[in-house]
Amino acid sequence: MNPEITHLTLGMLPLNDAAPLVVALENGLFAAEGLEVTLNVETSWASLRDAMQLGLLDGAQMLALMPLASTLGLDGRATPMLSALTLNLGGNAITVSPALYRQMEAYAAEGLENPIASAQALAAVIAERERAGAEPLRFANVYPFSSHRYQLRYWLAAGGIDPDRDLALRVVPPPLMAVRLKAGELDGYCVGEPWNSLAEHRGIGRMVCGSFDIWGASQEKVFGVREEWARRHPLTHLALLRALLRACAWLDEPGNRLGAARLMCEGGYLDVPPQVVEVGMRDPADVQEGERLPGATLFHRHTANFPWYSQTRWYAEQMRRWEHLPEECDLDAAIARCVRPDLYRQAAADLGISVPLIDSRIEGAHDHPWSLPGSQGDIAMAPDVFLDGAVFRE
Amino acid sequence: MTIRVLIVDVKPERSQVLEKALVEAGFDVLATVDEQQDLHAVVERLQPDAVIIDAALPSRDTLEHVGQLGRRYPKPMIMLAEEETPDLTRQAAKAGVSAYVVDHVQPALMRSMINVAITSFESHRALKGELTRTQETLAQRRSIDRAKALIMEMRGIGEEAAYQYLRSTAMNRRMTIHELAQELLAATANPRRKG
Repeated sequence: MNPEITHLTLGMLPLNDAAPLVVALENGLFAAEGLEVTLNVETSWASLRDAMQLGLLDGAQMLALMPLASTLGLDGRATPMLSALTLNLGGNAITVSPALYRQMEAYAAEGLENPIASAQALAAVIAERERAGAEPLRFANVYPFSSHRYQLRYWLAAGGIDPDRDLALRVVPPPLMAVRLKAGELDGYCVGEPWNSLAEHRGIGRMVCGSFDIWGASQEKVFGVREEWARRHPLTHLALLRALLRACAWLDEPGNRLGAARLMCEGGYLDVPPQVVEVGMRDPADVQEGERLPGATLFHRHTANFPWYSQTRWYAEQMRRWEHLPEECDLDAAIARCVRPDLYRQAAADLGISVPLIDSRIEGAHDHPWSLPGSQGDIAMAPDVFLDGAVFRE
Repeated sequence: MTIRVLIVDVKPERSQVLEKALVEAGFDVLATVDEQQDLHAVVERLQPDAVIIDAALPSRDTLEHVGQLGRRYPKPMIMLAEEETPDLTRQAAKAGVSAYVVDHVQPALMRSMINVAITSFESHRALKGELTRTQETLAQRRSIDRAKALIMEMRGIGEEAAYQYLRSTAMNRRMTIHELAQELLAATANPRRKG
């Protein structure tokens, strides 16, 4: 059956994890579905949100919380949005200035590799600064409704830090993070790649932990559309989902990440030195024994693309924890509306991809590889623990 | 009441025109800042009633966060006067204007302010023949393609080898591929012999 419309404009930000959209376009996967797609590179999440809410885009790469925040009317104008596909897991890291890193080292007898130890070392530095009457440290993330914000807060809190009392928190656009760190206007940040690798590469920042260290299954970007758009264009939506799903699968096949980095650089999507893009595009499976890989990202394996209710619910509970969610809101109804595993299953079935038989899972319960029953045989899953060992049930 | 406006722009010739037009329309322009300054701190210090920002600046997201901090901070225009502004918001987006406004500004004043900004931005764009963001991406890609073609011709090598050459040269010189491509194209457009 033919898609209702074939000329589409999709939005993305200049980030490594826009790779599925770029690959689907450049490798002809959209075209194979009969779709002619233009990719708009937006410069901020705010302008991407505006373009989505004003109907200037058909769909977009979005932060995992954006469809929920837009539906609830927290982000811009209340506009119901949904996502039936997660684009990637992981990909973020927390980076601090070299000066702060040295101060933290002084409080970490066992080193800073363990994320709890590094958060506790930061807590000790903060306590020391408080005694000395120094200004609070300044940490940044990328957007109010971002995974980065809640991953950063989770890490801080795990070390005994109250992010609202002990730190000055703000939002800084990713391309300016390293600049501000270098200028001494920021002490640390949580951002996606390539902006952590870039700071390390230039010797102006040190990565302390990655999103997989904070949550082994940390959901990152999703593909979002307006609910109304999805209702009017169901076949187009499915065609987009299939193309993106194939792009994600391609990205997780061994040896394709460098090619993806090349597509991003050559196509003018990411104006960053190529080796920085390549470093930030690494697959967690490429980690050598004993090497740490904060910022590594997963595009397909281990049900990475499946829109788990439990993952959006975890982020929503983090919003509630920090009082960023209105008290009266009906989360169950909102999540059922914004997160659409049913649509994912249709797209995956067309491609013969095995899908989970459940919509929610217990997050954080597996500290080693495990196996999940799927529609076409068992699915190999990765550890999904939280840094503090918490187990999250809906 | 006079509306106190902060302008965030990196193009002085445009922001000067905008500032003048706003003052003539009865607005009070507090300051014009670019991305070099910590916008979060500037907004906390000046407490503007409205912020007009070039929609192409990534710093919009800093304003989004500030807008979530409380009632006294400006909110994105897409959230305001819900029923009456979709056209204006769309026009502003097309002109590359974004505005953030506190709740208590009268809708008529807000519309007038945004219209002034749209006019300034549009006439600047027409004057300078500036590219939209999408056109910029395409222009970047075209210069990379041209540089690659040039290397293939000059060195008699294939496309893959030409990319690898660009990649390793960019790596050694800590540049982006686009920066390198532009340099190569400029060098061949104005050939200079080394003495």
